[in-house]
Amino acid sequence: MWSYIIRRLIYYVPVYLAVLLLVMAVLRVQDPVTMHLGKNATEERMADVRKEFGLDQPFLLQYAVFLKSTLTLDFSENSWDFPGVTVGSMIRRAIVPSLSITVPALILTTILSICVGMVSAYYRGRSIDKSLVFLAVLGMCVSLLAYIILGQYVGAYLIARDTGHQIFAIQGYEPGLKYWAHYCLLPVLISVIVAMGYDTRFYRAVMVEETGKDYIKTALAKGISKQRVMFVHMLKNAMIPIVTRVMITLPFLITGGIVMEMYFGIPGMGRALIVAVNSKDFPVIQAFTAVFAALFIITIILTDVLYALVDPRVRLS
Amino acid sequence: MTWRTTMGRMGSQLLVCLVVTLCCGSCARVEEEGKVLRLPLRSDDPKSLDPVQGSTQYDNKATCQIYETLVQYKYLVRPLALEPLLLSEMPTVSEDRLTYHFKLKKGVYFHDDPCFPDGKGRELVTDDVFYSWKRMADKGNSPKSWWLFENTIQGFDNFRDEQNSAVDAKKKAIAASTSADDGQTTWRLFEVFAKKSGDDGIEEVAFDYDVPIEGFQKINDYEFHVILKEPVPRFMWVLAMFQTAIVPREAVETYGKRFGRHPVGTGPFTLAEDDWLPGQRMVYYKNPNYHASYYPSEHMPDDVAEGWTKDAGKRLPLVDRLEFHFFVQDQPMWLSFRTGKLDYTEVPDEYFDEAFIKRTRQLRPKYTREGITAQRVKLLDFIFRGFNMEDELLGGYDEKSKKLRQAISLAVDLDEFNEVFYSGINSVYDGPIPPGLDGHPTDGRAKESYRGPNLERARKLLAEAGYPDGKGLPPIEFYTSTGRNNAEQTELLKRQLSKINVNLKPNLVEFSTLIEKVNNKKAPLFGFAWGSDYPDAENNLALFYSPNVSPGSNHYNYNRPEYDRLYEQARTMPPSPERTKLYVQMRDMLIEDTPYVGSMGRTRSYLINPWLKNLKVSETFSNWPKYLDVSEPRVYATEEVN
Repeated sequence: MWSYIIRRLIYYVPVYLAVLLLVMAVLRVQDPVTMHLGKNATEERMADVRKEFGLDQPFLLQYAVFLKSTLTLDFSENSWDFPGVTVGSMIRRAIVPSLSITVPALILTTILSICVGMVSAYYRGRSIDKSLVFLAVLGMCVSLLAYIILGQYVGAYLIARDTGHQIFAIQGYEPGLKYWAHYCLLPVLISVIVAMGYDTRFYRAVMVEETGKDYIKTALAKGISKQRVMFVHMLKNAMIPIVTRVMITLPFLITGGIVMEMYFGIPGMGRALIVAVNSKDFPVIQAFTAVFAALFIITIILTDVLYALVDPRVRLS
Repeated sequence: MTWRTTMGRMGSQLLVCLVVTLCCGSCARVEEEGKVLRLPLRSDDPKSLDPVQGSTQYDNKATCQIYETLVQYKYLVRPLALEPLLLSEMPTVSEDRLTYHFKLKKGVYFHDDPCFPDGKGRELVTDDVFYSWKRMADKGNSPKSWWLFENTIQGFDNFRDEQNSAVDAKKKAIAASTSADDGQTTWRLFEVFAKKSGDDGIEEVAFDYDVPIEGFQKINDYEFHVILKEPVPRFMWVLAMFQTAIVPREAVETYGKRFGRHPVGTGPFTLAEDDWLPGQRMVYYKNPNYHASYYPSEHMPDDVAEGWTKDAGKRLPLVDRLEFHFFVQDQPMWLSFRTGKLDYTEVPDEYFDEAFIKRTRQLRPKYTREGITAQRVKLLDFIFRGFNMEDELLGGYDEKSKKLRQAISLAVDLDEFNEVFYSGINSVYDGPIPPGLDGHPTDGRAKESYRGPNLERARKLLAEAGYPDGKGLPPIEFYTSTGRNNAEQTELLKRQLSKINVNLKPNLVEFSTLIEKVNNKKAPLFGFAWGSDYPDAENNLALFYSPNVSPGSNHYNYNRPEYDRLYEQARTMPPSPERTKLYVQMRDMLIEDTPYVGSMGRTRSYLINPWLKNLKVSETFSNWPKYLDVSEPRVYATEEVN
């Protein structure tokens, strides 16, 4: 397996180099300095910024500098928007708040969606199935913003007003497990509600497809209980699409939920990225994109490895 | 024990644990010592706390709790007036009103910080003042407000030009010596990987702060003269602006680029780097070495009834901790206020009806029952739609073009804008001088006014301008920025002008594009606003002074020698009835020439929780948290109880 991982990593090196090249080229289609300072900045000021951040150097040299900083994870370049703050420190500071929301949300969503998907598939065509599908579609139809506004109003404000206890924070974030539930549980629950609609329908479809397979019929013919067939035999065989869906989500855990972070005032990666995009903070956007691309590639490799773990028919060669 | 029972118990235990954790999380919010102010900052993080890099009201709020200026606004006195802050007394001015004699207050110390020997803050002296102001001339600091000192102090402009030119020349020389040709690129690629991190090879080129300036004359460590080029009364207002606050050279040189995040001032509060939680809040602590400053005893008659005079004579600041919480969305700010997490809140537009009865604009009874009070503050705003006076169609000073602009102005109903978009609380007025300043017309209406709606008169003037019933008038290009409700406002403007058959062609563009269009004189009609920097109409009247034409602040490109002469005369005059007369004359000249359609000034509403004491809102200055006090915060009585 290790030889496979190393081989895949080597295969992906040129892909990553090309991705970085593309990122750098795309971000330079329009002059980043003009974009950041505005069209009315003086030429001298623009020249100063270009010099300070090495943008006056040949493209190849800039690429080499960026490559080096990415490979060594040395994002010591200063943010344009926040003088004196390095991009690396921004990434480090924002990762944990993002993960505090996205990881529990992903775990909860996946477990609940698989369970609901299975129940739905188990009762396929019956009123329970129809009700669950209806609820899932309903969950998907309502805007995330509506959930957030309602969640803040009911979950945070009304409970505090009527009970005198501020169980959920209206917004904000404090590091530490002690404060996690107070600040993060409400956004996590909202994320779960929103994501469950999509995931439940997907997992139900996967389960329904599996129920038509021959091995299910064989197992049932052998007299194995329907529950055992569903939860042991079928679930194991449905793991490939489940793993794929979960793994594809992983890189997005780091980038966080932009809307959620903006509304709940969580200082995560999504918020940092959107602030950077709004103010055309070029070094931050460039570094975030590079990190995201790296995570995506790592996830693809991990997905392949997990395939082999969950399905012995898959050989890593 | 059955499996189901075990699961049931585990479930209930888990639920109890969760509730305990949640309650602990919320309980922890009240575990604090001393008096704490929790105030909203309706913005994301300030970009920097370096005074010279600040420009917005939010930068001001965050910065001026730490740094101080030589003078400050009197907290309770209206109209606004100045008093000494870092000075022992107000400066004396020579007879020719050119030389200002400043005496610094003794015993003012910078915050304790490792940048000083032994970490003890040293005393503020004359050199600090000169150094801090010189920083505004250094382009390397990215100063946002050089214009405050531009063309004001003898020798300062030359100093700026010479020093920046010297820096540029040195940079060019370095660049020339290190510039790479194509043949060297390959070698430099290797160099990139060979270099240690942080060794970027960029040589810092220093701006020489030790070069003397003619207008800065040091007498001793506590006294100095500043000599102006011409007598400009606005100079004193400028000295109350946070951009001119005093910083210690040691801190700037020690922290370099991090100085903007590691503030060291003389103010009533200190802020450690770790207490600035990006995207969250800034937590300031009372400066234990704050110089002797006391709650003011000078006040307005109504202030006694408001309870704003009870703390007169008390040593400042009155609280131990100050927290600014950032809010980029309005709902969390509003709900935080309603749960008592904030001491006051601005009332966002969409919450106006929630807070006030629309018809009477009185605070709703449920809030008054909770002891919440409301305050309204009129901002020194000038919101307008400007004409480019150099535009072929709309510009010019002949009768026809003037009548066309007057007709357009008469077709616009600003009261409707006020009702639709601002719940009717804004001020609509004639002329460019906001309410509360000398020269503002009584009741907002000047003797000769071209403020609409007066469609009959508008049609008449349009016909006299050569466009009867709008015939022959091409569509008018209108530029405004995207964002907030500008699209909706443009629709309303278009509808109002269509009533006299004037066809508006809206262009909603990014703000940078709008500025570019206006600076290049390419926008025939444009939507803009001006917030006065200081409470003197001179600031607004300068917008029409011809040397300031685009890309300067005279975006109308208004050019009338007679107006310029009056402005030059008024600019150097101290406040007096004679000066006000000149202001009125200029204002009426502008109303007649109509280089803009206007005017409107915003009114901001605040709701204040009952435990917050001494808040007399002002948006012209922001160092008032030091005067605020809190009694024991409590949860509101519910409506049912009441």
